[in-house]
Amino acid sequence: MNAPSGVIEGGWEYVWAAYAVTAVILLGYAASLIARYSAERRKAARGEKGAIEVLS
Amino acid sequence: MTESAALPPPRGPLPWVAGGLGLALLAAGSWIGLFEAPAEQHMGDVQRIMYVHVPTAWNAMLAFTFAFACALLVLWRGDWRWDCRLEAAIEVGVVLSALLCIQGAIWARPTWGVWWDWDPRLTTTAVMLFAFIGILALRRFVDDPSRRAAWSAVATVIAYADVPLVYFSVRWWNSLHQMQSTPETVSSPFHLPLRMNAFGVLLLTCAFISLRARVAQLRLREELSPPPPAWAAPARAPATGGAR
Amino acid sequence: MSLAAALRKEGLVQWRTRARFLAVLAFGAVTLLLFSFAAGPDAATLRRHAPGFLWLALMLSSTLALAESFQAEFEQRALEGLLLLPASARSLFYGKALVNAAQLALLGTALVPLTVVLYDVSLPRPGALVGVIVLGAAGLSAPGTLYAAMSSQARARQMLLPLLLFPLVVPVLLSAVKGTALLLAGDPMGQLPSWLLLLAAFDAIYWSLCGLLFDRVVEE
Repeated sequence: MNAPSGVIEGGWEYVWAAYAVTAVILLGYAASLIARYSAERRKAARGEKGAIEVLS
Repeated sequence: MTESAALPPPRGPLPWVAGGLGLALLAAGSWIGLFEAPAEQHMGDVQRIMYVHVPTAWNAMLAFTFAFACALLVLWRGDWRWDCRLEAAIEVGVVLSALLCIQGAIWARPTWGVWWDWDPRLTTTAVMLFAFIGILALRRFVDDPSRRAAWSAVATVIAYADVPLVYFSVRWWNSLHQMQSTPETVSSPFHLPLRMNAFGVLLLTCAFISLRARVAQLRLREELSPPPPAWAAPARAPATGGAR
Repeated sequence: MSLAAALRKEGLVQWRTRARFLAVLAFGAVTLLLFSFAAGPDAATLRRHAPGFLWLALMLSSTLALAESFQAEFEQRALEGLLLLPASARSLFYGKALVNAAQLALLGTALVPLTVVLYDVSLPRPGALVGVIVLGAAGLSAPGTLYAAMSSQARARQMLLPLLLFPLVVPVLLSAVKGTALLLAGDPMGQLPSWLLLLAAFDAIYWSLCGLLFDRVVEE
């Protein structure tokens, strides 16, 4: 892969791979966080509604 | 660490604002890095990986350092909120360092012709990745919340103290390695995308940690809330905040 | 409870369960045998990898030995009782960690003759090798004892101890393997002292840190 001048030629496929992996992991983690957060929020809301029903 | 009253329901737009800004900054910085910045003299276009690799490295280290600070605060102050942030910081640090190892392998292949070249920084990251995965597993397998908080804080302090030892042992063990890439050693046309991405990933990291801490906090509130009375069997356990 | 009393108790327990030590030793020996099968019968290859295999065998067997170290306390709920005594958790920790270090050092020393036989290495400085083994065993036992206290009370404890311990002791493995290799194959560059220094630094840091943090692990 090393050209005689010592400069690495090409290698764009590695650049794309690195950026794609970064985007997939960061966006995927963000999506999983948002999903987990809204699930917990729903659960908490349900719990509070249940408590109010029991108390009244 | 017994009252759940010290755990208010999390609120505020911080993670959304920081996350949106971080994502925009990261996208713009990557655009400049990919299409505007010139190719580097020796590394050629492969150098462009650095614009995401180096910010990831900084922020992975930052997340673990924040986890270490949280662990100390848990041990000294015994505050549940720091336990939630500890869990969040460890998980985000694990995600970032896993990403870092993958990027490092993709970088090493065209540069040195191998997927993994035992560079001390990258190898230290890999070791820390597994150490903190172990702590996440520990949190998963301990059911008592106050034990879980104390133990994971202890394990975090112990694992974080290992970072310099791992670094130096790997460095001596594999003495050939290359110079650090910080803005000082990188010439000026490369600064702008690197700085933009560094702040972009930093904002994203803050957003992730804050959102993940909220998830932890909601879970903890449920765990700490008193069990429902027997006659309330079908209903969920009331959260302490809601039963006022 | 002073350190001496804790040491006496641990020593006594270890002596009464010596059959367990023999089982762990057998496990280490089997591991060494398996490593030689995996690396093939070429004598030069085996000789080159002997230090690494010795330390991997010791590390793998150490999780068995360490996992047992809090078993009696938790099965019979004796730890609560011990902590009710006018005792410090710290002396309990150091008692256990010292006995574990001694046990691992003994285990490592016992595996050396087998390494010599299986991998055909020469032992120019047996005393120094025992020194490296003692330092390495101390490095494994301080964090290992602390993590054993946690993992023996958690679910999935068989998995948790190695998962927590192995990444942490990477510096021990690297420096002990290097030190052993330099002792077995000769040390023309005089690198041995710096590896021993690294190992001793790890020991010093973790023996103090784990002792400091242990009472947060066992407190209720």
